Amino acid sequence: MSAVTDVANERPTGVAAEPTATAAPAPVRTRRPARLFAISTLSVLFVLAAWYISTDRGWVSPVFLPKPGRVVSEALANLANGQLGKDIWMSTQRVLLGFVLAGVFAIPLGIVMAVWPPAKAAVAPFVSLLRPLPSITWIPLTMLWLGIGEAQKVAIVFMGSWIYILLYTVESTKRVDPLLIRAARSLGANDLDVMLHVILPGALPGIIAGLKVTLAISWSCVLSAEMIAAQNGLGALIWQGKDWGNLALVLVGMLCISIVVLVADKLANMLERLLLPWERHHRT
Amino acid sequence: MTATMSPILAARKVTKTFTNAKEQHVVAVDDLSLDIHEGEFICLLGASGCGKSTILNMFAGFIQPTSGEVLLHGQAIVKVEPRCGMIFQSYALFPWKTVRGNVEFGLRMKGMSRAERRERVADFIAMVNLRGFEDHYPAELSGGMQQRVTIARMLAADPEVLLMDEPFAALDAMTRQVMQEELLRIHQQSGKTIVFITHSIDEALLLSSRLIVMSARPGRIKAVIPNELPVPRHIAVQFSPQYGELKSTVWSLIESEVRRHGAAPDR
Repeated sequence: MSAVTDVANERPTGVAAEPTATAAPAPVRTRRPARLFAISTLSVLFVLAAWYISTDRGWVSPVFLPKPGRVVSEALANLANGQLGKDIWMSTQRVLLGFVLAGVFAIPLGIVMAVWPPAKAAVAPFVSLLRPLPSITWIPLTMLWLGIGEAQKVAIVFMGSWIYILLYTVESTKRVDPLLIRAARSLGANDLDVMLHVILPGALPGIIAGLKVTLAISWSCVLSAEMIAAQNGLGALIWQGKDWGNLALVLVGMLCISIVVLVADKLANMLERLLLPWERHHRT
Repeated sequence: MTATMSPILAARKVTKTFTNAKEQHVVAVDDLSLDIHEGEFICLLGASGCGKSTILNMFAGFIQPTSGEVLLHGQAIVKVEPRCGMIFQSYALFPWKTVRGNVEFGLRMKGMSRAERRERVADFIAMVNLRGFEDHYPAELSGGMQQRVTIARMLAADPEVLLMDEPFAALDAMTRQVMQEELLRIHQQSGKTIVFITHSIDEALLLSSRLIVMSARPGRIKAVIPNELPVPRHIAVQFSPQYGELKSTVWSLIESEVRRHGAAPDR
């Protein structure tokens, strides 16, 4: 029912037969996933090998692409002196703060917009105007208003994230099955009960799917903000590498971003499974 | 036989008109009057498009008549009426609640304490033979089991009238038969008034204490037939000569409707 589903997490489930329905039908195991995993691994190894050979033999100048060994030693050096850890932490902090503020603002607003048309009418024009703007277009204004400190970075993340969270929330709230609302009322539920027991849980899978998509967007916001004006953070690290002509450092920064976002996504998936126990059994 | 008692549920000269997408008025129910008495098992039988569901939705308070009124204990139903609980064909279970969470929903809405709810709910889960499945989510259950959860959920909420809109239509024939027998048993145990929509003559004959045959477009009552087949009833009643006679009476009433509109109920 969620708008965006993680294809890798969808398992085929057996149809429970009456009267011996089983608790959790075992996923059908085939050899295909294992083989596909092997193909992925080989594909990565092939590109790494091509990188190593082409730089080692001097086919590609280190000015354009450093050797893999240089990237590894750069990463280790920056880990050892604590610089990398600090940059990752700074960026993560800014993302989390901006992202959480965006959620706190946009989720309640989205729910109200979905159930109360006047609210939607009031907010919709701004959504239409602001949606096409990439978060970097907010950099001049936010610098003027907030300087170049933490608040400005958080503001960029916020401006780049809240509209997506809002749109996902409105959409998934509107898609809650009206029959379930009727059923709840027929069982004596009042407006508040309907909100707490039907609309919120019904919209939750879609909202969480939206948050997962938005989290990656929030990361790209913080990086662009850091590249333009920041003393630290992964974006600043990459920009320093560029200024110093240290391409290995640029690659270390890029790699870190990928890894951090991947880890964040995994954590989000775990959280999702914890919050939506019923979704594990959905056959859709 | 019950003419002197005041009806629990009644429709008085009810007309319901819908406006369709082309701005045309469609009369779903036309000047319909009906008295339903406590403890009755009423089956509304008719071809599709005869306004059966519209009547039921008005009894539940989901929609209001265009003219006339629907009454519960003589008082007009003007909003969703929890005393007339609806059981939907598509189950309408809350997917995020377990079997227990679904069944106790009505009690929770009444503000009953957790401990008390647990105790009450256990009885209803046992009544529909779902013991051991309390902590399962609806998606883990088969269609027949899901429909039993909706019945338990409605019985636990303890409405005075059960409204059932083709509740077994989505089930396979065998599960359906089991469910029909369970419903007969539940009706006998609880003595609840039931209004049941079906387009199956056999289902109506097996379940009802009174059968109401509807005509289609606009929906009107074509005939009211008391069902005097012996109770307690069992599937085997279908082999009695009395049953055959009643069935052919009902079919002759419906046949002309079906020929007129082309939508056949199951024979």
